[in-house]
Amino acid sequence: MYATLSPPGRAGRIPGRLGPALVAAGSVLALWYVLARSGVVALGLLPTPRQTFAALADGARGGTLATDLAASLARAGQGFALGAALGGALGFATGYLPRLSAAVTPLVSFLRPIPAIALVPLATAWFGIGESAKRLLIAYAVLLAVWLYVHDGVSRVPVTHLRAARSLGAPLRRRFTEVLLPAAAPALLAALRYGASVALLALVAAELGGADSGLAYRLQVDGQFLRVDRMFAGLLVLGLLGVGVDAALAAIGRRFVHWSAS
Amino acid sequence: MSGSVRLEGLSVSYGGTRRRNAGASGAAPVLDAIELEFANGSFTALLGPSGCGKSTVLNTVAGFVRPTAGRVTVAGTPVDGPGPDRGMVFQHYALFPWRTARGNVEFALKRLGLSRPERRRRALAALAEVGLAEGAEKHPAQLSGGMRQRVALARALAAEPEVLLMDEPFGALDALTRTRMQELLRELWQRTGTTVLFVTHDIDEALALADRVVVLGGSPGRVLADHALPAGPPDPDLRTLIARQLGSP
Repeated sequence: MYATLSPPGRAGRIPGRLGPALVAAGSVLALWYVLARSGVVALGLLPTPRQTFAALADGARGGTLATDLAASLARAGQGFALGAALGGALGFATGYLPRLSAAVTPLVSFLRPIPAIALVPLATAWFGIGESAKRLLIAYAVLLAVWLYVHDGVSRVPVTHLRAARSLGAPLRRRFTEVLLPAAAPALLAALRYGASVALLALVAAELGGADSGLAYRLQVDGQFLRVDRMFAGLLVLGLLGVGVDAALAAIGRRFVHWSAS
Repeated sequence: MSGSVRLEGLSVSYGGTRRRNAGASGAAPVLDAIELEFANGSFTALLGPSGCGKSTVLNTVAGFVRPTAGRVTVAGTPVDGPGPDRGMVFQHYALFPWRTARGNVEFALKRLGLSRPERRRRALAALAEVGLAEGAEKHPAQLSGGMRQRVALARALAAEPEVLLMDEPFGALDALTRTRMQELLRELWQRTGTTVLFVTHDIDEALALADRVVVLGGSPGRVLADHALPAGPPDPDLRTLIARQLGSP
């Protein structure tokens, strides 16, 4: 009901969504606190919210949080940039050229269901445990995700838009930059948001496969010492990172894709 | 005769190399050896039931569809792909939703290499021509169906085509808007002298607009009748005759 009753302006919608979200987050926090204090879960396996935030503050003071965050962001960012660029280009090509799509789609359909984590041993065997193996793994996962969305968006661009552009004398370059690109922009935005979430998933898989810093690496180390408070803090950071990146991409997208209702 | 159009033994089949309509027998013929000539500055309605291939005639003249046999010439030159000498108005407008009404018209003017202010001035003039001076800075989503089709008409005419191709352009409009758009189109046609090919399945629309009505039908589509319309109000006997021709197989 919110969406239909409130005016289409952005200002009216965000607080409308934020309210219920804050209530839900508060409830989860309260439930968590009660569970941790009640002793239902074996003592020491479920930290209280307070212990978790203390562990987070500890990591922030000690510098490990900054080191891990920087290492993870660099990997995820570089892998995402490479994968999104290649996946976007491939998506435009196969979305626009049905014959190329007929050749490439079966291959991609075969590769897509293989989760990135299943490729970690192979990536390690081929590229070692260095940074390039991690970046390539993330890039690969992002490429497949972005390709799918962009391909779908480009192949749905109404044929009459392209025909209208041709009969108005627009050469190929203008048909691409002024018709195909803006027409596929909503799909491109969705592709980048989905690709960013996939980059974080692949990041975790890549770091669990062997690293000396990073958010997921730290989770593994803390796990070995049963430091549940630090593990909760690490999961909290991963979750917030995902939400933050998605919100940033959505905000950038709204500036460019102002005409799209969805 | 800059805007004269000739269809010379025009046959079109879908299927074969194309993806759609590929039946068991292979290529499905849509048009069979059509011979027609449209004089420069004439206004012809191509009338027929849906599926008779009348839109395919238009798409072939526009250069979107390649003939399997025969050819189309415009001002004596064979058609080889789309070009700005032939403007198209689509049933569902085909406006670019990310551009304003003015932006859509400016898209058509870009190829002329005008300065920005000149392009803007001409786009606004073209919108004023179709009675849409007020809505120039609105996006298509903010405009009604009739207003969108006015923008599409302004955009097509801004490119100054020799031939204006219209594919059931008023089919999605309500009756009142439709009548207004028909009046506007007649007015614009008389002012610009563009050759108009207007596809419709509505007899009354064909009679109200055109000075010639070509009845298409059958499968594959062929010319069933060709009527030159006398000036003046529509003739009820002619309407009855065309209705009978449309009903025949």
